[in-house]
Amino acid sequence: MSNLEKKISLPSEAVKIYQIIDENSNISIRGLEKQTKLDRGKLEYYLGFLVTNELISRLEIVSHQISLTNNGKEAAENQLVERRIAKILKEKVSVSFADLSKLVKAENKEMNAGVGLLKKQGLIKIDKDQISIIDKKKEVNKKLQIILEQLLSGETADTSDFNEILLQRNLASFEEVKDILLEILIPYKQMSSSIQKMSEVSRLTPEMIRDGSWRDTRLREYNLKASPPTFYGGRKQPYAEFLDEVKQKLCALGFKEMRGPVVELEFWNFDALFQAQNHSAREWSDVYQVSNPKQGKLPKADYVENVKKAHENGYDTGSKGWRYKWDPLKSAHLVLRAHGTSISARTLVDLEVPSKYFSISRCYRPDTVDVTHLSEFTQVEGIVVDPSITFRDLLGILKAFAVDIAENENFKFKPDYYPFTEPSVELDVLDPNLGWIEFGGAGIFRPEVTKPFGIEAPVIAWGLGIERLFMVKNGITDIRELFSHKFDWLRTAKMSRG
Amino acid sequence: MVSIKASYKEMQEMLGKQLSIEQLEDLLSFAKSEIDQYIEEEDMLVIDIKTSNRPDLWSPEGMIREIKGILEEESGIPEYEVKESGYVVKVDPQLASTRPYIACAIAKNISLTDYYIKQIMQLSEKIDYSYGRRRKRSSIGFYNLSMIKSPIEYKVIEETHEFIPLEQTEKMSLDRILEEHEKGREFGHIVKEYGHYPILLSADGTTLSLPPVINSNDVGKITEETTGSLIEVTGTNFETVNVVLNILCQVLVTHGAEIYSVKIEYPQDIYNESVITPLFDKEEIEINLDIVNKYLGTKIKPKDAAKLIAKRRFNCNSIDGNILTIEIPPYRKDILHWVDIAEELAIALDYNKIDPTKWKVLTTGGLLPETESENLVRNILVGAGGTEVLTNILTDPEILTTRVNIDNQDYVKIENPVTSTYSVMRKMIYPLLINVLSKNTHETYPQMLFEVGEIVKLIDKKVITQSNAAFLCADADASFEDVHKRLNQLLSLLNTDYEIRQVNHPSFTEGRCGQIIIENKECGIIGEIHPSILENNQIWVPVVGFEIELPLIPSLKCKVKSTY
Repeated sequence: MSNLEKKISLPSEAVKIYQIIDENSNISIRGLEKQTKLDRGKLEYYLGFLVTNELISRLEIVSHQISLTNNGKEAAENQLVERRIAKILKEKVSVSFADLSKLVKAENKEMNAGVGLLKKQGLIKIDKDQISIIDKKKEVNKKLQIILEQLLSGETADTSDFNEILLQRNLASFEEVKDILLEILIPYKQMSSSIQKMSEVSRLTPEMIRDGSWRDTRLREYNLKASPPTFYGGRKQPYAEFLDEVKQKLCALGFKEMRGPVVELEFWNFDALFQAQNHSAREWSDVYQVSNPKQGKLPKADYVENVKKAHENGYDTGSKGWRYKWDPLKSAHLVLRAHGTSISARTLVDLEVPSKYFSISRCYRPDTVDVTHLSEFTQVEGIVVDPSITFRDLLGILKAFAVDIAENENFKFKPDYYPFTEPSVELDVLDPNLGWIEFGGAGIFRPEVTKPFGIEAPVIAWGLGIERLFMVKNGITDIRELFSHKFDWLRTAKMSRG
Repeated sequence: MVSIKASYKEMQEMLGKQLSIEQLEDLLSFAKSEIDQYIEEEDMLVIDIKTSNRPDLWSPEGMIREIKGILEEESGIPEYEVKESGYVVKVDPQLASTRPYIACAIAKNISLTDYYIKQIMQLSEKIDYSYGRRRKRSSIGFYNLSMIKSPIEYKVIEETHEFIPLEQTEKMSLDRILEEHEKGREFGHIVKEYGHYPILLSADGTTLSLPPVINSNDVGKITEETTGSLIEVTGTNFETVNVVLNILCQVLVTHGAEIYSVKIEYPQDIYNESVITPLFDKEEIEINLDIVNKYLGTKIKPKDAAKLIAKRRFNCNSIDGNILTIEIPPYRKDILHWVDIAEELAIALDYNKIDPTKWKVLTTGGLLPETESENLVRNILVGAGGTEVLTNILTDPEILTTRVNIDNQDYVKIENPVTSTYSVMRKMIYPLLINVLSKNTHETYPQMLFEVGEIVKLIDKKVITQSNAAFLCADADASFEDVHKRLNQLLSLLNTDYEIRQVNHPSFTEGRCGQIIIENKECGIIGEIHPSILENNQIWVPVVGFEIELPLIPSLKCKVKSTY
């Protein structure tokens, strides 16, 4: 389809420009700028319509633009120095160089140039120090003077014969100027009947929608390449969001959530888990002791007495027990929860069978905080209870954690030690960059742990190294960043999923 | 966890084979150990041993004993000949209530390299520290046998008694040792609690040591030249001192030493008979293999079980149907129950060769209602434009008090903080958010941040944990309205009526602060942070905010959790 047959919608400004180009053959964009008094951005915008509709074409050209230097401007205004000298000389018989300088009001350097030039042209003679003119009627460099004056007033001047002189005398300089020449492809006359004028706005207003005027209106195009202003919307903390995902996955695997208090009785943190009261893990260096208040109260329940027996003589589990005198006061000391297993221990009271539980909790150890240690950290822990469950099932559960939560098919098991489980297993997964890393641990609660709560079924206890997993997934090497205060990270950290 | 250093070369030599670090680590896993690092220039491995109740594994010799069982190069309980030495130790009845027990052995024909002397010292230190509860429960001493005459006395002596302690050149009295000697200051408190000084004396009056504090400088050390040594363990627990002695003898035997026994003569008040140490009590445990198989999910046959347990350095003394009688090595007192034997069998099978079952306990999962409630609040606050932050519950008292104009208050405190930065439990969250703002003054404003998290409070002598939500907005144009409208949206979405009651609060500007009241209960605070706090925290824009206690919003299911 040729342009002649179709209707073309153009903004009225574009139509005007089209006409101007049609009337001024080979007008350049600069020329158009002067004529339309539109800025370059707008002009380009309207030209865009004409070019896309193949009404005009653009041709890039390079021209040299001449402009006066300061010297040149002065000469244009006050006459060239040789003309000023000649003018003085025409009035006198002869003048000394010094007097001439004063009369011409020029510096030595300029005077020398002017005198030299006149002498070269054979217009003056110098006898000793006396200078006189030869032909008083002769005009000196009149054409050059006219050109300078033309350039100063902005008229077009044919400088072609004088370019060299202008440059040599530093009267003018030449600049390379790129310009775009606009050529008409289809004359306006041929098109005028096919052109529809459209109005154009930058903003769609409620009125325009209501009165339907948007139909006759063109919405000015946006600059889609401009970078947007900075914006920080609300978002969740990246590590908290990751923990949310882990919770979601554990729920999907059938685990119910459990929670517990941050400040814990030693009873739940240690005694119920069959950790002897003189165990080194209960010392100051390993657990935060609470000083205000120091002491809580043990629950009034049979299981407390049973736990005491488990420590002293194994209770009725068949175990030898730890064989020492169990101290209820020690057990009522308050500590900061040192592991999430204390929450599992609390869940053993009236435990539903079968059931599966998990907790994600803040835990505390008196470690010096550094790249790999936090004194407040997150533990993911839980239990699984079922009368038929075995050690092989425990391995199956760990396998599911490796595959479903760490999303890693390469895993292996290692013997491990926890005071409250037997057997105990460590789960390692193979990271492509870091090699084997510990991802979890598990074991079957010792009967000394479960029987005092009246539980006969085996209870699997497990824990996952979720902080490490988050760090590996997000390339974090400093564990302190999990609780980072840096807004820069909080605002811009990439989402861990997807 | 216990961490030791050992030579990679010597480990391979003891195993009689060349192993890569990875191969060695795989084998070490059977001894519940792993390589933490390998320092190549020193040929030194740093090995972490995960068990706190297996001091027999805390030396290269102990780990290798375990590995040789797994490799089937050795099996069953390692045995060695013990001859009588004729040495006697007489125990003073006065020690009955303080540090009554002692176990001794004599090792002859020892020729230890400097490396193995250091290894034995390392093992002794680890045992003293961890298994011996920093020498309170047990402590070890080595002596040059040639300078000791029997009978040896283990007795109480007056504080003026003098001897030259290790690393000293002149005699010091016992009380001076406790005050001035480095080890006296470290371990003297144990002796001070006793109210008297225990001492080991040779028949010729030479002092061997002041247990558990320090040995004598003349007698109490072994060197590469030492060929005969007396080894002694004192402590508060009969079993412990004997186990520790057994572990040490076992290590010395590995290096070719001959072990001689010592007769311990106890008074009636302590033990009703004399004891020949090292003591080899043949302890046995019966297991029912049917029960063990059910526990593990395995089908181990009795004969195979006997082989497997021997791989773990136990002896199977008899098989009667499905009942196996297992003899426990004298250095292993961690075996309390048949489940402990079940683990040994599983380790001997190799965990990685046991087929994991498919997931089978079918239950319905779900979040607690309180977590769902918290998530609801978090979602609303994200929608309100908040950037979520996580801050610590255990925190710096300064952040909670002076930096928010609050006088010292009744916080739950830590008795043994590592640093004051982590020494009290927060009971409000907004002070921590102000701290976050103070660290981000170079970042683009507005800054809106929030946290939904746990706090700890003392209420009526009870310690409780509950969740709060705090929201702060910092901006040059920030005004009360900015947080009021967000609180209003939060509570109206939660279908909760509330009112704001004007109140004075030190953290907020007077007249620009109110309590949030729900059902006539104060459940939070809202207002403009006092400019003095902004100045103090070097935050140069106004900050407005609110904090609300989630358990007090009736439509939420957040609960207060009491510790007791």
